[in-house]
Amino acid sequence: MAQVARVPLSLPLPLLRSTVDPTSEAFAQNDARHRELVANLRARLDQVAQGGPPSARRRHVERGKLLPRDRLAHLVDPGSPFLELSPLAATGCYEDEAPAAGIICGVGRVAGRECVVVVNDPTVKGGTYYPLTVKKHLRAQEVALANHLPCIYLVDSGGAYLPHQDEVFPDREHFGRIFYNQATMSEKGIAQIAAVLGSCTAGGAYVPAMSDEAIIVRNQGTIFLGGPPLVKAATGEVVSAEELGGGELHARRSGVTDHLADDDHHALTMVREIVSTLAPRAPRPWDVEVTEEPAVDPAQLYGVVPADLRTPYDVHEVISRLVDGSRFLEFKAEYGPTLVCGFARIFGHPVGVVANNGILFSESAQKGAHFIELCDRRRVPLLFLQNVSGFMVGPHYEAGGIAKHGAKMVTAVACARVPKLTVVIGGSFGAGNYSMCGRAYGPRFLWMWPNARISVMGGEQAASVLATVRRDQIEARGESWSAEEEEAFKAPLRAQYEEQGNPYYSTARIWDDGVIDPLDTRRVVGLGLSVAANAPLDDVGYGVFRM
Amino acid sequence: MIGSIRSVLVANRGEIVVRVCRTLASLGLRSIAVYAPDDAGAPHVLAADLAVAVDGYLDTVSIVASAKAAGADAVHPGYGFLSEDATFARAVIDAGLIWVGPPPEAIEAMADKIRAKRIVAAAGVPVVPGAGRPGMDDDALAAASLELGLPVLLKPAAGGGGKGMRRVTAAEDLLLQIAAARREAEGAFGDGTLLAERWVERPRHVEVQVFADALGTVVHLGERECSLQRRHQKIVEESPSPFLDDATRAAMTESAVDVARACGYVGAGTVEFVVAGDRPDEYFFLEMNTRLQVEHPVTEAVTGIDLVEWQLRVAAGEPLPLGRRAVAPGGHAVEARVYAEDPLRGFLPASGTVLLLDEPTARPGVRVDSALAHGATVGTRYDPMLAKVIASGCTRTEALDRLRAALEHMTVLGVTTNVGYLTRLLAHPDVVSGRLDTGLVDRTLGELAAPDDLDSRDAAVAATCRLAAGLEPAGGAVDPWDAVDGWSVAGPRAWSAAFRLGGRAISVTVRGSLRDGATVHVDCGPPLLVRAAPLTPLEVSGAPRAGQASRAPLRAGASAASQAPESSQAGLSCLSVTIDGTSAVWRTATDGDGIWVGRRGDAWRFAPDRTARGERVGTGDARGPVTSPMPGVVVAVHVSVGEAVRAGQPLVAVEAMKMEHAVVALADGVVTELLVHPGQPVRLDELLAVVEPDAGDEKVVGDEGGA
Repeated sequence: MAQVARVPLSLPLPLLRSTVDPTSEAFAQNDARHRELVANLRARLDQVAQGGPPSARRRHVERGKLLPRDRLAHLVDPGSPFLELSPLAATGCYEDEAPAAGIICGVGRVAGRECVVVVNDPTVKGGTYYPLTVKKHLRAQEVALANHLPCIYLVDSGGAYLPHQDEVFPDREHFGRIFYNQATMSEKGIAQIAAVLGSCTAGGAYVPAMSDEAIIVRNQGTIFLGGPPLVKAATGEVVSAEELGGGELHARRSGVTDHLADDDHHALTMVREIVSTLAPRAPRPWDVEVTEEPAVDPAQLYGVVPADLRTPYDVHEVISRLVDGSRFLEFKAEYGPTLVCGFARIFGHPVGVVANNGILFSESAQKGAHFIELCDRRRVPLLFLQNVSGFMVGPHYEAGGIAKHGAKMVTAVACARVPKLTVVIGGSFGAGNYSMCGRAYGPRFLWMWPNARISVMGGEQAASVLATVRRDQIEARGESWSAEEEEAFKAPLRAQYEEQGNPYYSTARIWDDGVIDPLDTRRVVGLGLSVAANAPLDDVGYGVFRM
Repeated sequence: MIGSIRSVLVANRGEIVVRVCRTLASLGLRSIAVYAPDDAGAPHVLAADLAVAVDGYLDTVSIVASAKAAGADAVHPGYGFLSEDATFARAVIDAGLIWVGPPPEAIEAMADKIRAKRIVAAAGVPVVPGAGRPGMDDDALAAASLELGLPVLLKPAAGGGGKGMRRVTAAEDLLLQIAAARREAEGAFGDGTLLAERWVERPRHVEVQVFADALGTVVHLGERECSLQRRHQKIVEESPSPFLDDATRAAMTESAVDVARACGYVGAGTVEFVVAGDRPDEYFFLEMNTRLQVEHPVTEAVTGIDLVEWQLRVAAGEPLPLGRRAVAPGGHAVEARVYAEDPLRGFLPASGTVLLLDEPTARPGVRVDSALAHGATVGTRYDPMLAKVIASGCTRTEALDRLRAALEHMTVLGVTTNVGYLTRLLAHPDVVSGRLDTGLVDRTLGELAAPDDLDSRDAAVAATCRLAAGLEPAGGAVDPWDAVDGWSVAGPRAWSAAFRLGGRAISVTVRGSLRDGATVHVDCGPPLLVRAAPLTPLEVSGAPRAGQASRAPLRAGASAASQAPESSQAGLSCLSVTIDGTSAVWRTATDGDGIWVGRRGDAWRFAPDRTARGERVGTGDARGPVTSPMPGVVVAVHVSVGEAVRAGQPLVAVEAMKMEHAVVALADGVVTELLVHPGQPVRLDELLAVVEPDAGDEKVVGDEGGA
């Protein structure tokens, strides 16, 4: 799908230069630390890619079925990239019984078209839905809807995981939401295709039934509202799964499915054929220019970013290694310099970069709000590079109205209609998270670096705040609190924040779309921008800015 | 102007027309081509100054009428078609045109093999012991054959060019083979009369080029050895023969001149002899070809004579221009014939559209006579010879080396050819040392038919590189989704290409970007580090020739040549593929869903493996299908539905290129379906019949079991 690359008629943007010494000891230490972090990330991803336990995988393969990742490989175009969503979901949850939360989600190219792909992993507890499985499935649908991508479901699941039914079934964002989404996505013109490659039981039966087109594999896929045991219990009838809801039944009699496949390969080819019949994607809302690799060596990213969040560094060193040609037209460079704003391109897509370069002050917040409005008007997607310990505190700043200035930026972030992409490259603390487009502000995608931390405040600050409150209470009672006692009080708090602020704690709970290798950032953001360009833009509109 | 000749119609097609036109142009004469309806826009049409539509190349009446209408003074028949048709020669002469060929009487005298042998024997030239006369029935011929002693060679009395010849070694095969040979002879020449000749062991085929003028001068221009043959058709010819001693050469050339004199010959002719490999001093007359031979360029290369020019001068009544050039042969020349055929399928004819063409022109000592062109369609209706490559040198070794190198620089994609096979044949020790015989090709086919396994492995890698490069948009990746490197957050994901090469499934697995360096496995082979880059060919001989498009519409009835080959991805026609540090240049093309890659003369077509992709081909149970080994026409159906057959039993006879091929049952069983009838055209691999194999009997024979 070649797009016409426009020869830029505009002036080239100014070039960023690096001032970092790649031969310094600090550079080498940073580099080594990041390599360690990325090796750890890769090891986790490799582990999760195995899917369920070996015995379950063996049983699955012995039935002539492809493993979920092999299904994915046969579905997507040869050699095409795959932008997986939250591959480390449910890490450390459910006693680690549900790798990837038992479901593979992501954006992949199918027959030349980027699609959201949702693949059940039946080697993980029969592909049943844990609470985080539901959350991940819903997030995938959200990505399809927000970016106007066709959505493909490769179904092989026993339905809700019964032991967790209270966290899976009844609430707004639970199992039923999947089918609500299918209906409302369809209403918005999102094509949905289901291939039933295994079980599709009870509520799950609605996945194919609510898709535009559905495929079922003969002697393998089954769809029914109640399985044979339930039928026997309810009516006393004894019936085989194949008779009750097999491929022949649904293709020839019930009409629940539209295509009958012989095996996984056949079904996946059918999906590709169906995708090739979809209406063409909408024109991109912005121009895409010829891609230019960064002029500053992106491989130095590990060395220029201190692994320790408390060590300050110049975020221009990151920007210059992410954007096309290392070209960056900075906005208000001299005003509110703790927030760096400017125009650039990534893989030819225009992008407005908003990056933290220190603590947020009133000036930086106002500048940010202004810049976000500019990008919104100019149809320039926003890229937030989060490394924020929060807004400045203290009487001087409160009196200066930092609350209302911060509110302006939060309003601008919340209301901007251009796509927003967020990468947490360091700390994501407090209200800084909000003004820098945290998960609650609906970025199209949000990724974290392995060195990132996310919590309402830093562990040390939280422990100190709580210790101060505690000390005040104790001393109010006229008692004393020794330094040792205070340290004993603070240590578990620090440990809790350290654990919960860890990017793997975040990604396990799907607070983000995945932890990424910093060196992949340019690629990931490029893929994300290209995906985001599928959806037309809404009209510009804002809430009340407190002046 | 030569005599009264200003303008010559060439009553033929293919490379010989191109070649004759070249001489006509060099002499300042006007050339007129003819073309059948399916040849409009063919290369031979474009080579001539003028082209006239005719109903067919055997259509005497319309060709003569066209020659008159177009203002031709003379008609050159080329070889094949009407070149040895005395009736046509007379029709040309009767129309007041000059016939560039021998007198009709000489043609007739030599056309009847039985009569020819009588005349030759009377002139004191040794002939092969043989039997056969018109009207002799199959049983009588079989008895006569047994009397001569097996093996015998069956050949049509009216034939030539090896068509319809069969070697019979077993008495029980005689009757079946005689019947088939007769059918072929009738189909090809309209005359079922057969000859049986004693088979000469390890026979070598040596022929002498003779030339006679109307004033009675007869000369020979040395000999050619054509012992490298398949299906009795020559594929490599050379001059001089590496085999003859001077005394035999002198005697044989003398005999050839005697034969020409004995039949009152005028013009270019070839007297063919067979020599037993173990008796180099003993030769037998085989036949005389009363035309310009396919292999005449090797004689031209060693004599420096333009034989077509000599033909024209003799036809115009001039004496042989002996004074103008020395007749003493010098150096050595070898010719290889490029056929549209598949050595891996026993040289069965191939068809297709030329998607990419590199010819080894502009190499020292190399001549290419070709009717190939980018976009040209090669069908099965005509002879499958596409081109000839001729190399000459001071020594035989130099000529052979040059020829092999030239063929290694020839690429034809879109049509399966024997080019790669020829490079291997020319490197065979027996060919290099000159130990030739007419059975050498068949004996060595098993080892030489297929390219080296490593080359095929590399070809699979190249095809994968072509596939990946084709997925990327032209001008480099713009959108990160366009990258073909299997990127994911967890590192590059492996992807695989599933191909079929002939009947074999090949899977190529790639991890990483082929542009930047990827790890590749072919089937379960060891990891290869592969990098691929598209190249701009310095010499785009595969591109349509300038002026071709604008000239074609000038011809009455000519439509734009053939299907338009790919143009959008022409930039991928040349790929540099580096495997474990060694770079090679591959030429590539695609036809619909197949990928062609070519290198060093060989070409491979990788089709997508539809079963691996889950696609279903055909319907129902396909057990025991019998398919056509080539495109052609069904000429006989030997069985009926319900009949029990044995493995190897002929079921259907399919004819292509005037060669009849028996399609046999692959296993013992019962014919359950018969889908063709005599006269029906069939495609390659078309289902002909279904044999339900007997339960438990899995005896299977090869494709060639009964052919």
